[in-house]
Amino acid sequence: MRFIILVVLGFLVQDTIAATLDVRLVIQAGTINLSGATLDARTFSQNTTFQPNSDILIWTTNDDVNLRVVNLDSDPHGFEIDGYTTSFGTIAPGDSSEQNIVLSNAGVFRYFDNLNSPFNAYLGLSGVIHVKDASDTTPYFYWDIREYQELWNAQIIGGSNPALNSYDPEQFTINGNHYPNTVTDPLARVTGNVGNAFKVVVVNNGLSIHSLHFHGYHLSIEADSKYSYTLGRSKDTFPVHPEEHLVLSCTPDKEGEYPVHDHNLVAVTGGGEYSTGMLLTILIDP
Amino acid sequence: MKKFYIILILLVSHSVYAQIDYSKLIIGRNNGAKTLHDGNVTNTFGFAESLGELIDVPGPTIYLNEGDSVEIDFWNMSQGAPHTIHLHGLDVNQENDGVGALSFDVYHMAHGFYRFKAPHAGTYLYHCHVVSTIHVQAGMYGVLVVRPQNGDPNQVWTGGEAYEKELIITSSEIDTNWHTDAVLDHPYDTINPVPVMIPDDYIPQYFLVSGLSDTQLSNPANYYWAAEDAKVYLRQSNAGYYGTRYIYPSSVSARTLSSDGRPLPAEYVNDTLEVYPGERYGTMIQLGSDPFYTIDVEYFDLNTNEVKSTQTYTIRTSMAGLDENSIFSSTIYPVPSSTGVFYSSEEFQSEYEIYSITGNKILEGKNMRIDLSDQPKGMYIFQYEGWTKKLLIN
Repeated sequence: MRFIILVVLGFLVQDTIAATLDVRLVIQAGTINLSGATLDARTFSQNTTFQPNSDILIWTTNDDVNLRVVNLDSDPHGFEIDGYTTSFGTIAPGDSSEQNIVLSNAGVFRYFDNLNSPFNAYLGLSGVIHVKDASDTTPYFYWDIREYQELWNAQIIGGSNPALNSYDPEQFTINGNHYPNTVTDPLARVTGNVGNAFKVVVVNNGLSIHSLHFHGYHLSIEADSKYSYTLGRSKDTFPVHPEEHLVLSCTPDKEGEYPVHDHNLVAVTGGGEYSTGMLLTILIDP
Repeated sequence: MKKFYIILILLVSHSVYAQIDYSKLIIGRNNGAKTLHDGNVTNTFGFAESLGELIDVPGPTIYLNEGDSVEIDFWNMSQGAPHTIHLHGLDVNQENDGVGALSFDVYHMAHGFYRFKAPHAGTYLYHCHVVSTIHVQAGMYGVLVVRPQNGDPNQVWTGGEAYEKELIITSSEIDTNWHTDAVLDHPYDTINPVPVMIPDDYIPQYFLVSGLSDTQLSNPANYYWAAEDAKVYLRQSNAGYYGTRYIYPSSVSARTLSSDGRPLPAEYVNDTLEVYPGERYGTMIQLGSDPFYTIDVEYFDLNTNEVKSTQTYTIRTSMAGLDENSIFSSTIYPVPSSTGVFYSSEEFQSEYEIYSITGNKILEGKNMRIDLSDQPKGMYIFQYEGWTKKLLIN
């Protein structure tokens, strides 16, 4: 009897915390400023002004989300959430598509334009949804990592897809930023205190494999969307494959400022310049 | 009063040094010349353990014991940009992490001291973190092994599995276009950073397994020797910018036990293992009685997944093709040796002895792999059953 009451209470609590959300994601064209280069890009944004990186959406389990995707670009686009069966169809220029979504399990989901795969997603039309348990009070930080080959963007937007086996990117970003701008991004820049746990959500929305190395700390793999056998491993270097996402946890044992970067050291450069690439620091106070 | 302060300072400095269990000198230089498998020679940066030692790529392996208080005295004799030592994976504090902008750079002719407690037993890397994209490619990296607390060289960690031999394998690549003076002599200023440009593309021509490739690896002088039925612990690391895939021979069982200096929650048993830049793994392989075992190492581009090279590393069992009753006759090779490691083509029936040129005995044993890699360059005298041979480390 006590169990039934607890279960009912649990549902009631969940119902009271879960919310009904109206979310609008707008597909827009714009340019992104990277290290010594300005590239054409396409992104999803909740604003009607172009953002250099698709939005990171943070929801609570069982949120009732009315998601509307609006296409303000001149090309058709699609929308899909990895691991969630729903179809927004082809969204013509100037058109929109709408679905009701309830994600009942906590976790990380990658969303992306499923047309002209993987090139539209490469252009910036891919992002992150993090569904959190309402009881989860751990501070999270988000690294949406991707890279660009400067000549590819205009070529893809012009209607010609390059050969994937010729990919040789020069720009490497976290949440659309390169170092040192990564350090002023509050979503990305880990700050915390000794003894207080934090988690990092890493999503590879690029086409390359990245091998992220942490100075100062080992982190534990809490979730891995591709290789479940890695769960529980304590490591300082984490390979992240295209379309893979990880959740890493750490309770820092000492103060200090420590770099985190791709250990394919070509990727810590940007436009050929050291060190304006996939690099940031984490800052732990006493 | 002045005398009192001097005594106090001496006492304090003595107490600091008294806390150091292990002190190690590492010298950084920019004047390396690495001979590649096709005879080409390329400029390198690198590390050495003594003034008389030429640098090689990778640098010398550093061995520590878990829990030791360690001091590394890094002496930069580069005559170029500053260098540092980043203790990759050891989770040292910010001051000793080797990132100049967050601690200190070590300029030409200066000493930098890194002090830390050796953490969990396992396999780590060390490398320069100044313009690391260029300096690591130039050769400033090496492996650091932390042994169990009791220093046991045949145990993975305290209370962990035992093994007969360990094999340290570091993968890396060389793109010789990155080793020109124009690239290596880059500008650098700690206080007022200036842009440092890298070459347009990274297209390596040489794919190294512990510094060797292609015909160097197929040369019997560079085979790794182990006894029949030996349990060998592979300490694998990737200091390059490509992914690597180890493909084990079908006749051995390979169990990966650790990664990045920590035991895995569960053994990973597979006939292949991928190791990405900066990662380390510990894999136990059980040899049988085959004369040769080969491990293929594939190098793949992280942008395209294309395999660009496959290198083959050979393990030869000590009984392979040898008549154990044969009388020891002659062959110890290579002479000279650039690594300080020599091999015998035949087994020893009794112990040999090796003396320095000044007559001090520095080694004795029956091992067919004669490891003088911890000795300075120079001439050594090998004696066995009344037979004498000069061994040169150059």
